[in-house]
Amino acid sequence: MSIFESRGATRRFGGLVAVDSVSFAVEQGEIFGLIGPNGAGKTTMFNLITALTPPTSGQLLFQGQNIVGKQPHQIAAMGIARTFQNIRLFGNLSALENVKVAQHTHTHANVFAGILGTPGAREEARRVEAKARELLRLVGLGESADEKAKNFSYGDQRRLEIARALALEPKLLLLDEPGAGMNPNEKGILSDLIRQIRDQFNLTIILIEHHVPLVMGLCDRIAVLNFGQLIALGKPAEVQSDPAVIDAYLGD
Amino acid sequence: MDFFSTYGFLIVSMLFQAMLGLSLYIPLMTGQLSLASPGFYALGGYIAAILSTTVFLPEGGGKWESGTFPIIYVLIETVLAGLASALLALLIGFPSLRLRGIYLALATIAFVEIVRVLSLNLEITGKAIGIFGVPQPFINKFDYVVLALPLLIASAWFVYRLERSRVGRAFTALREDELAAAAMGVNPTTNKVLAFVLGAVLAGMVGAISAHFLNTWNARQGTFDVSILVLAYVIIGGSRTFLGPILGGLLLTALPEVLRAIAGIQGLPLFLSQFLLDGRLIIYGLLIVVAPLFYPQGLITPDLFKRRAVKTKEAGA
Amino acid sequence: MTTNLFFQQVANGLAIGSVYAIFALGYTLIFSILGIINFAHGAVFTLGAYFTFTLTGTAFGFNGLLAQQKLPFSLWFPLALLGGALLAGLISVIIERLAFRPLRRRGADSLLTLVSSLGLAVAIVNIIQFLVGAEAYSYPSSALNDILTPFLFLFPDGKVPLALRVPLTEPPIIVRMVQVVIFATSIFILIALTYLINGTKVGKAMRAVAEDATTSSLLGISTDRLIQFTFFLSGFVGGIAGVLVGMSVGITGPYFGIAFGLKGLAVIVLGGLGSIPGAVLGGLVIGLGEALVPAEYIGYKDAVAFAVLFIVLLIRPQGLLGRVFIQKV
Repeated sequence: MSIFESRGATRRFGGLVAVDSVSFAVEQGEIFGLIGPNGAGKTTMFNLITALTPPTSGQLLFQGQNIVGKQPHQIAAMGIARTFQNIRLFGNLSALENVKVAQHTHTHANVFAGILGTPGAREEARRVEAKARELLRLVGLGESADEKAKNFSYGDQRRLEIARALALEPKLLLLDEPGAGMNPNEKGILSDLIRQIRDQFNLTIILIEHHVPLVMGLCDRIAVLNFGQLIALGKPAEVQSDPAVIDAYLGD
Repeated sequence: MDFFSTYGFLIVSMLFQAMLGLSLYIPLMTGQLSLASPGFYALGGYIAAILSTTVFLPEGGGKWESGTFPIIYVLIETVLAGLASALLALLIGFPSLRLRGIYLALATIAFVEIVRVLSLNLEITGKAIGIFGVPQPFINKFDYVVLALPLLIASAWFVYRLERSRVGRAFTALREDELAAAAMGVNPTTNKVLAFVLGAVLAGMVGAISAHFLNTWNARQGTFDVSILVLAYVIIGGSRTFLGPILGGLLLTALPEVLRAIAGIQGLPLFLSQFLLDGRLIIYGLLIVVAPLFYPQGLITPDLFKRRAVKTKEAGA
Repeated sequence: MTTNLFFQQVANGLAIGSVYAIFALGYTLIFSILGIINFAHGAVFTLGAYFTFTLTGTAFGFNGLLAQQKLPFSLWFPLALLGGALLAGLISVIIERLAFRPLRRRGADSLLTLVSSLGLAVAIVNIIQFLVGAEAYSYPSSALNDILTPFLFLFPDGKVPLALRVPLTEPPIIVRMVQVVIFATSIFILIALTYLINGTKVGKAMRAVAEDATTSSLLGISTDRLIQFTFFLSGFVGGIAGVLVGMSVGITGPYFGIAFGLKGLAVIVLGGLGSIPGAVLGGLVIGLGEALVPAEYIGYKDAVAFAVLFIVLLIRPQGLLGRVFIQKV
């Protein structure tokens, strides 16, 4: 069984079909690339998976279960985490707090336990803190844990988003242009980081990325969207030589 | 003791208003502008006023002598007012908190107005006249401080701890970016309802004690005007730390007294001293307009303390 | 309710509902351009009524700084009405400068702007109270006659009767003349506004900015000036609404417009925020709803608008004719 499968997922906005009956399956442990020209429907696809936008029709299966109709926080609790193309950190919270927030579903201290500081709540708070610091170190932000997220550089914010997503302990991680705005050197480090977290946390990753070398080097398989439709799916080398893909990228 | 008999009423009012500020601040922690506090404040007051004039009567009937109403009854009323507010807040909270931003503010304005019209028309709330002769547990108004101050300290401590707990963090995340918070596993609805309910409970409890404090309770206690006053506490005091609404409530409630003192200065033109005496709401209104320009986050901000802390650290090093 | 009473109340409802409609249009115009509700609109309504009163040259009451003062001249009522509405429009422009523009420049949260406009409303209402006291005022008794000057030939002996009898039922329905004036004026304003928005250049620009402010400014539409014009228009119409209500029930005090302003919110939410036909429909529905409250529950009349507001928000937040906003991720 594939860990994730899209069966004919479709999303219309008025007359525009942003995602047009797209079907593909992602296997456990894969790094799966989602590429395509601007406006091809990649981010909309992520929004469908994370329930930020409901699909007009079609099915989305996570571990064999249809997740259409669930709320975003339920999807997160099931084990799907994401980052955002136009970074959506909690700007006025510190990096540490950003990562702590994402542990919400794995912690249970209720409002009164938290306020009274019961032993259980304090123990939990210690665990949360330790884990948040560990994740920040992992993405290379261990030093600036107490800095406000909005004060971070662009690249650091992207890495903080990854740390925050990992705090959800996801099984499936969706990365929306994680390398945007990074220089080639940073992109190389990012590639290594993505591979490392895949192995360390036993993740499956779907990745939207514009930077072709990054995608080609990193992904096991790639799906190409154009005007909302899936036009190619396969190993990087196959996709790269697919005439439909070349046409989509060079056609306009 | 002269000071306390002159300013006792003012001091206790300041404490009450600070708590009302907090009651608006709690839902704001999740990014919701709720103007519902006066509605729950009115409800709490009516519960206390009705119970103490119809149920908690002295043995053998009649009326309580001033200062003899047992404090334990006040506490029972306060708890009941809190519970009733919680229930009502749950009831209206779940449907209306799906609403974002402006819509929620509008729904809460409607709620306050509906409470007001109901209390103007219902027999049990004394219609337009209200409920008179709410019995007094104390002889001096200042003595209410033994109820108001602990409640203020407890609620401030509650919010202080809340801001540093798991749930409080979820609240702040919702305020920062609701969609991102949801994508990180925070349930927006339950957390927003929780914050709404907590704010309602505090407002209801303040109302219960206030009914005794003011001796009378009527439909003028919970109006749109009160909504704006309480909002002013938060906007001017500060909307990003619990100290803001407390400071705002204390300062703005004391402001008329300060203005009165200034108006008493010899040699002021008549219109100016008149303005200082009667123009309290003009000044509030203008402060609300001007303050966000100079203090977008209010007088007190979390950074204020951080900067202070950094400075002390540097000084120590 | 007898048939007679029913029609009577429908007439009342249409009259007040049509004022709700033009008043609420002031909210709608600003909301469709800025996406913000101008809470000071109720205060502008009040100002329109007071300015017109002042311009009629009548003396103020015994309270406030301006007690017993009056203007050295007195205007014919229709001119006073026009002047009052113009001044209300001017104040509305000032409100934009004080409460909206500075925060817009800073890119502040729209909730903060809402709060700021609320603050200004509170200040204005209390300035009125400070100046002329909290007492009720009413327009000179000649107001109705003056405003109907062009139609005087319709009436025998050239005098406007206080009420019309419409012999549709037995006994006849009695419609107060002032309600006819209110309804007719409101309809006239609605038609004029519709023409302005759909048939003129400035209306086209307004619609363009409402669609997309950034693109419009690229197209050379001066957004700031257009926003100013919209505020003026909204204040002008809101001021007239204030005078119309003042003609019907008198100016009941500085808080006159606040309650009306809150009801106006119910009107626009019911119709759909930002929708012009919605504001009209919402106004008429709420006006009729209030008028049809049975006499024994008359005390609850003021709750009708808010109950409607609450229910609409719960069931259909986008209102009757509103669009669903899609949030961009």
